[in-house]
Amino acid sequence: MKSVKDHLMFLLPLLAILISVEFVIVFNRVTQNSEEKLRQSYSILVVSEKVMSPKDFRRIDSHIVSATPIDKKTIAKEIARGMQNAADAEILASLPHFYNLHLDRYLSRPEVEKIRQKLLAAPGIKKVETFGESLRAKYNLFLFLKVIFWSFVGLMSLVSLFLVVKQMEVWQLAHRERMQIMEIFGAPMLLRSGVLFRMGIIDALLATLLVVGLFMVLRYYYAPISGIEILIDRQELLYETRDGVILAAIALGIVVVTVFSVAIRSREERE
Amino acid sequence: MANVITASKLTLAYDGGRKEIIKNASFSVRKGEFVFITGPSGSGKSTLLKALYGALKPKTGTLSVGGLDMGRISRSKLLELRTHLGIVFQDYKLINEWTVEKNVVLPLIIAGYGLDIQQTQAKKLLRHVKLTEQAERFPLELSGGEQQRVGVARALSKNPFLILADEPTGNLDEFSSNVIWDLMENACDQLGSTVVVVTHRIPTIFNIPYRHFIIENRGIYEVR
Ligand SMILES: Nc1ncnc2c1ncn2[C@@H]1O[C@H](COP(=O)(O)OP(=O)(O)OP(=O)(O)O)[C@@H](O)[C@H]1O
Ligand SMILES: [Mg+2]
Repeated sequence: MKSVKDHLMFLLPLLAILISVEFVIVFNRVTQNSEEKLRQSYSILVVSEKVMSPKDFRRIDSHIVSATPIDKKTIAKEIARGMQNAADAEILASLPHFYNLHLDRYLSRPEVEKIRQKLLAAPGIKKVETFGESLRAKYNLFLFLKVIFWSFVGLMSLVSLFLVVKQMEVWQLAHRERMQIMEIFGAPMLLRSGVLFRMGIIDALLATLLVVGLFMVLRYYYAPISGIEILIDRQELLYETRDGVILAAIALGIVVVTVFSVAIRSREERE
Repeated sequence: MANVITASKLTLAYDGGRKEIIKNASFSVRKGEFVFITGPSGSGKSTLLKALYGALKPKTGTLSVGGLDMGRISRSKLLELRTHLGIVFQDYKLINEWTVEKNVVLPLIIAGYGLDIQQTQAKKLLRHVKLTEQAERFPLELSGGEQQRVGVARALSKNPFLILADEPTGNLDEFSSNVIWDLMENACDQLGSTVVVVTHRIPTIFNIPYRHFIIENRGIYEVR
């Protein structure tokens, strides 16, 4: 009975930590996905009298990652269709150059404004238009959720880590004397803390399996009926095999650190 | 023959060196010798043993055990040395969560011996200290004298080259004491161990030659 309680006292906080971690992984995957979509739908149109290369734009502001020239012929044709007797070539020659710029991430309004001003100040650039402002409300909500989520996960991990440390102190009390006697008889640290390692590793693997199981259930059973578009489309966002490896590594890492600190703190002080 | 223990101007102290227990003591013990240490309570007998198994570093002077400088020895070397010692503690220091049998073979467990060897050795030693019946019990279910005998059996279980025993008969009647003295004599005489025993009463009947040190007024003197 006592040993079951011992296990639970370590297993439960470990579970909480691993669930937090997996949530973070999943959340990041989902948000990266949507963030990328947002980023791509946001663009800046530049009208310039000179030919400019992507490098020229990057020199103006480092947030600019790409600059695609818009084919002038199609524009010229569009214009020519509306006019009579106008030659394509003539229009083509008189047209300035158009560029579609993409940014490295979704920037705030003042940041975008700054880039706009810098572009306008550059020689040759006549006009700058931004597209995708309508997404801003969506993006801000998104940021808000992100902050809430991180606070929650951070707090949960903190409390769990605190519990792990508490359990470590319980172990310390229970095993200190035995470890010290073994040390007097020359047992190396690994042998002295063997019981704790065994217990910790079992708990770590158990916790990993439980969390992996939970997210697999979410992926295979919950996602298809969730009614959330992105989860129905991309169920693999909820769990990948790689996640299990990360979780196991984190759980084992916590065990190793915990047990070693118990072992080191129980070590004989040579006066 | 080579010295197993050499102390030269050895000073032992507690409380960061402020409380000196033994001062400027010099002595040596050769391989295979049997040494009794006596002295008043609080004179520093257990303190000397602590220094001999490396739990207390010399404040000044040098102390070498098995050729190793106890003032400079590294943790790992010290652990290695300890696997060759047989220590009996005044307060027994048994592992209460382990059975008597497992306690006895602790040195064998540490040395990585197999279970069969552990079992044969445990059986033999428990027979020697008359505790065969108690093999499966836990230390806290034994009397003080019985626990003490478990401690002695544990110290002898791996034929140590040096036995350090602190009042191994402190809690025993004359009959049980004689059983312990016989075992110690045998370890020294037959198995060639060097033995250092702290006791307040040297046994009247002792069958092998021995030396006698007295610790008094912070000094260590040999009685000749
Ligand atoms: N860890 C310690 N810190 C400070 N002083 C200590 C410590 N251990 C022992 N002492 C002191 O050192 C002195 C010698 O103690 P020690 O245990 O060596 O005596 P002893 O000769 O073994 O006595 P006894 O015959 O009663 O066992 C005592 O005055 C004791 O109070
Ligand atoms: Mg003592």
